[in-house]
Amino acid sequence: MPVIDTHNSVNALEVRGIGKRFGAFWAVQDINLTVRPGERRAILGPNGAGKTSLFNVLTGDTNASAGSIKMFGADMTRMPINKRIRHGLRRTYQHANLFNGLTVRDTLFLAVAGIRGGWGQLLPLKASDHRLAEAERLAEVAGIQTFFSHEVSSLSHGQRRQLEIAIALAENPKVLLLDEPAAGLSPAERPKLSELLMSLPKDVTVVLIEHDMEIALQTSESVSVLFNGKLLAEGAPTEIMENEDVHRVYIGGAHVH
Amino acid sequence: MRYALIVIPLLLLPVLLNDFWLTQVMTRALILGIVALSLSFLAKYLGVVSFAQAAMAGAGGYTIAYFGPNSVNIGIELPFWISIPLALFLATAFGGLIGCVARRSRGIYAIMITLAIGIAFFYFTRQNYALFNGWTGFSGVRAPLIGGISLRAPVPLYFMSLLSAVVSMMLVSGFARSPMGLAIQAVRDAPGRVMALGISVSTPIIAAFAFSGLLAGTGGILNVWYQERISSFSVGFGPIIDILIIAVIGGLRYPSGAFIGAIVFVMLDTFAVDLVDRERFNTLIGTVLLLIVIFAPNGLQQLVMDGAAKLRRAKQPTN
Ligand SMILES: Nc1ncnc2c1ncn2[C@@H]1O[C@H](COP(=O)(O)OP(=O)(O)OP(=O)(O)O)[C@@H](O)[C@H]1O
Ligand SMILES: [Mg+2]
Repeated sequence: MPVIDTHNSVNALEVRGIGKRFGAFWAVQDINLTVRPGERRAILGPNGAGKTSLFNVLTGDTNASAGSIKMFGADMTRMPINKRIRHGLRRTYQHANLFNGLTVRDTLFLAVAGIRGGWGQLLPLKASDHRLAEAERLAEVAGIQTFFSHEVSSLSHGQRRQLEIAIALAENPKVLLLDEPAAGLSPAERPKLSELLMSLPKDVTVVLIEHDMEIALQTSESVSVLFNGKLLAEGAPTEIMENEDVHRVYIGGAHVH
Repeated sequence: MRYALIVIPLLLLPVLLNDFWLTQVMTRALILGIVALSLSFLAKYLGVVSFAQAAMAGAGGYTIAYFGPNSVNIGIELPFWISIPLALFLATAFGGLIGCVARRSRGIYAIMITLAIGIAFFYFTRQNYALFNGWTGFSGVRAPLIGGISLRAPVPLYFMSLLSAVVSMMLVSGFARSPMGLAIQAVRDAPGRVMALGISVSTPIIAAFAFSGLLAGTGGILNVWYQERISSFSVGFGPIIDILIIAVIGGLRYPSGAFIGAIVFVMLDTFAVDLVDRERFNTLIGTVLLLIVIFAPNGLQQLVMDGAAKLRRAKQPTN
């Protein structure tokens, strides 16, 4: 198992026996996941495999039905979402739920203020606000600085994906969970996204759900494959490509977004 | 600049209009406009249609009546520089409290819960004699005297209302650009995402309601000075519906539309007697509302803006 680093006792993520149940149906069942600090991990799996449900449990968007989650040694299983963010956990969402009536600037301002604090201030925002400077930096990193003062509702699908990433990068994340950032992007936009992913600071741990095999394998050093809510296989990209189980349920089969 | 174009003619009105037009039409429209603004603020920035604005205005108005000179001998007379801030504070707090009760409700449920609060407040004022003097309420309420001049005199009351309206508009646009104002709009668009950013969802909702309470309370205070009385009827079904009608006529999505809606409403209310008989007013205003909802669902403000845009295009045929 090349995935588990024996030299580093504190893992970025340590997920033990995690399960998520909807009624009688386990969308995620008994998942164990160990991610080293700075590791780039891809999560693959067919539609409905439970990838997003796993992310939701990790970030606290929903509660786990079973199991435990540790981030850098700190137990986060029952931690509220805002505390997890302050611990350095960030995510993007597969389906856009952005603030359509706000500008890119205001959205990123809120992303920064949610962590730095002071979102409850009642006086008009000054142009010199330190949080706006950070918002501008984020827009630049994600490549949407030209749309900084545009309303989110006027952005293209690809620009929204970039905004998602900019939000997740607010205030130096330690662990970044990206839920299909390339979904719906045009072939021309995809290389830009891989470039952005590869330009992320090396000490940031990235877990990436991605259907685009090229992007997944190009940007990740290890792969976990989910199927029917369970972990099917784990290993280096080359091992996964040759794994027969994986071929049977995923790579060989037709896939729909 | 655009503000100046609107405000300067308004400053000249006292010279141009007689007392009837100035007070019964303009002052009244400004006051109703401020209360309707408290509704369109919530509708535009929080996405909530509230039926509790008459109650918030009432909280301000009743406080002024209770702590001011009145002819029913209820309450404690305080100097106006204490009673006015107190009334604004209580209206704001009442707004915040309503927001706290309504914070988990959206859409139709928010309408129902604010309506229930509005109606409950109406019945409470009718039954409580110690604070609200039952259904008769307070009469003979006198506006403060400043330097020997009563604020109820036509010109001072007009200027006071105009100043309040301008300040209210500036507060709305300033607040909307504050971090809290942005959080409020974020809650409107995607409450789940707000939480995921580490921002509370309840606090912006309560803040939005409290701010709308401040606006409604401002209108409520002016209204008591203007009417010189306040009673359960000031917070009953009639005013609740009137405020909604004014905001819809002007355009729920436009804060300044509240004042356009108020002018139309007051003109109809004042002159409908000449067009149709008194009892038909509701039919008339209902018809106007229907026409607006059908032909200009975004209200008169949008119509005016569309018209202005067309004019501008017509003037520059080269573009
Ligand atoms: N809130 C919910 N209530 C009930 N069932 C749910 C809920 N959310 C997800 N599921 C179910 O859980 C299973 C896993 O869904 P999930 O969204 O995690 O899959 P996924 O791997 O992200 O799929 P995709 O590739 O389509 O994004 C699916 O069968 C889905 O229908
Ligand atoms: Mg998914």
